Amino acid sequence: MNLRYGPRKIVLLLLLCLSLTATACSGGSKNAGGGGGAASPSASGSESAGGSESAGGGKVKLKFMYWGSAFEKAAMEKTIQSFNESHPNIEVKGEHVTGDYNAKMNTLMATGELPDVAYLGEGLALKWATDGKLLDMTPFLDTYPELGNRLKQSYYYYAPGKTIGTNSAVEMITLYYNRELFEEAGVAPPPSKGDDAWTWDQFVDTAKKLTKDGSGKTPYDTGFNPKNIVQYGVSVPTWFGGWYPLLLSNGGDITNEDGSKFTMDSPEAIEVFTKLQDLMYKDYVAPTATQQQNMPATNLRLQTKKVAMAIEGQWSLLDFASTKMNVGIGVLPKFKQPTTIVLGAPTVIFANTKHQQEALEFYMYHNNPEQVDLFSKGLWMPLQEEYYTDQSKIDSWIKNDAHPAEYRQAVIDYTLGFAKRSPAYSLKNFVEIEPKINAALDKVWTNKEPAEKVLRDMAKDVQPLLQGKYDAGQ
Amino acid sequence: MRAQPRSGIVRMERKWGIAFALPAIIGFVVFVFGPMVASLVFSLTDWSIGSDFRFVGLDNYRQMTTGDPLFSKSLYVTLYYTIGSVPLCMLAAFLVAMLLNQKVKALPIFRTIYYLPVLVPSIANSMLWLWLFNPDFGLFNSALRSVGLPGSQWIYSETAAIPSLILMSSWGVGNAAVIFLAGLQGVPRHLYEAVEVDGGGALRKFWHVTLPSMTPTIFFNVIMGMIGTLQVFDQAYVMTNGGPNNATLFYIFYLYRKAFAETEMAYASAMAWVLFLLIMALTALVFRSSRFWVYYEGGNKP
Repeated sequence: MNLRYGPRKIVLLLLLCLSLTATACSGGSKNAGGGGGAASPSASGSESAGGSESAGGGKVKLKFMYWGSAFEKAAMEKTIQSFNESHPNIEVKGEHVTGDYNAKMNTLMATGELPDVAYLGEGLALKWATDGKLLDMTPFLDTYPELGNRLKQSYYYYAPGKTIGTNSAVEMITLYYNRELFEEAGVAPPPSKGDDAWTWDQFVDTAKKLTKDGSGKTPYDTGFNPKNIVQYGVSVPTWFGGWYPLLLSNGGDITNEDGSKFTMDSPEAIEVFTKLQDLMYKDYVAPTATQQQNMPATNLRLQTKKVAMAIEGQWSLLDFASTKMNVGIGVLPKFKQPTTIVLGAPTVIFANTKHQQEALEFYMYHNNPEQVDLFSKGLWMPLQEEYYTDQSKIDSWIKNDAHPAEYRQAVIDYTLGFAKRSPAYSLKNFVEIEPKINAALDKVWTNKEPAEKVLRDMAKDVQPLLQGKYDAGQ
Repeated sequence: MRAQPRSGIVRMERKWGIAFALPAIIGFVVFVFGPMVASLVFSLTDWSIGSDFRFVGLDNYRQMTTGDPLFSKSLYVTLYYTIGSVPLCMLAAFLVAMLLNQKVKALPIFRTIYYLPVLVPSIANSMLWLWLFNPDFGLFNSALRSVGLPGSQWIYSETAAIPSLILMSSWGVGNAAVIFLAGLQGVPRHLYEAVEVDGGGALRKFWHVTLPSMTPTIFFNVIMGMIGTLQVFDQAYVMTNGGPNNATLFYIFYLYRKAFAETEMAYASAMAWVLFLLIMALTALVFRSSRFWVYYEGGNKP
């Protein structure tokens, strides 16, 4: 008789083991660090989704997710620690995500294991805001002055007048150069005032003077060998940071005002992309897309004199701290109007957080220049407008070795006076539009087809993807 | 079902058998079958992560065939890669297996060397080949230039990207080669002796004994290779990001992008099912064709 019950017992045992491991796993991921049983939900009727629960002791637990380099991680960990020390009733647990951040957030959204506060890609953020998954920050603009008085370009509007807040920090596109190379060649460096911005022809002229082949000849010299260039005048990234400011400068854009019609086939756009293509394949002053992919990071490109100037994001300034070279910053060349763009990604609060108040507190703290040293180190630019206009506030973050002397004019004043917004702030479906545009532009960057043909062909591919703008009609 | 088992022992053994297989069965149901059913259901909705969903019937499938040029592009790119990669890998693996089947000194060392690339993590492998493919300083172009040939843009050119990746795939033939090697060692000696008695040379031995005896092994490797290459992903993810101009937009990479960058989970699920059915169909096709070219010792019973 015992034999007959044996198998059943085994099965039961196995099932028990399985269920035990299963609950152990889910318990570990859901309630990190907290004793499962002791947790008591504070808000009634809230979903179990939020990654935090207030423990019996009354300490509010928040989960914060972010990306970034090892350097940013260390700085953020320090910030979180000081926040936890100065806020004894709140415990923020930071999780630094490596690898494909958006894929991770998507998975967490699908399984309802979201953090309370997190960095988030612009496309996902605006989409989820429309779906009501993110906290509407509009009501807090007045209650928190430090949220209400930020640079106007930095707000993400998911509907006219409705915002989920701002970038984690301000970033913009600028022009770095190796001062030494300009002195050697006896060429005037890029201007640092937006009003003095080079025209395109002045820019190409300067780049030509700084381009050298193996025997030291520039494109102006006879016998210049474009197949053996050892130093390029300038490198221009092939993603939109490289071409969107120039497109805007020439009066062009990706779409029309309300985002209903594709306009990158306009004469203005064609002019910009033709000039950029010429930069690589006719003027021979810029490395091709392929060469760029095999080049080191911007700071090393300039330091090793592979390029004399580089269009790049402001965030690269951090890297120059570790590069022993004399870096200078200038404003971008212009077509018609001097223009750069503000860009970045937002930090958001998820709508289903159980601790809105505490989450807001951390939100205000995590990018406050008085608490985080990433601003003075060169990685970030502050959000509050007073850090761009009030002299003592300005000094608090740029009076150090990381920021060159012309930073005030070339970055701060330039941003205040001449910066528009990256397309990711407003264009709906940009996550699908951007790869389409990039794929087609590959044909420009590899010189497979003339820019004009590429842009005209692109129109019929991209037009069906347009869904308007989030803040249209504002 | 047949009548009740005659003895208690048979009954007991059956129960124990099921009990021991249970972990695997539960694992399959929970981690494979369940998600498969779920993805089939999702594929009939318009679910985008973060939004509510409703059922839209076959709209996602219709969208693929009519409204999404990238779908056909990714399918074409993947089939192109498979058609290039599978034969090349089979040939390379067979050749390596033949060499490793010779009686030479230090044979175990050679066998280890040829199997090593399989043990290198795929990402490391990709990084390595990125260096090899570098148009300016890469080994390939340096070698070509040193003999006076023009270099190639390799994975950075729209036309050369897939052939480059096909070339790269021949690097990882170790697994197939080991299986071929096992097959070669199973070829009956007496058949070779029979050819020798009839005065046949090495070529005849290969053509009339080795190759026919190897067909079941080739068959197995072709099926496994095909299934593997149709799901190629790492190279696009690490090396090319699908470019240039979507020239390496492999099917799974596009699916991944749809699901995790564009949040179109429903569409991605539908794509997964199309690939699943496609792989099934192709595998069935190869199976059907096997009766014409696969020989089994002692009769043609697959």
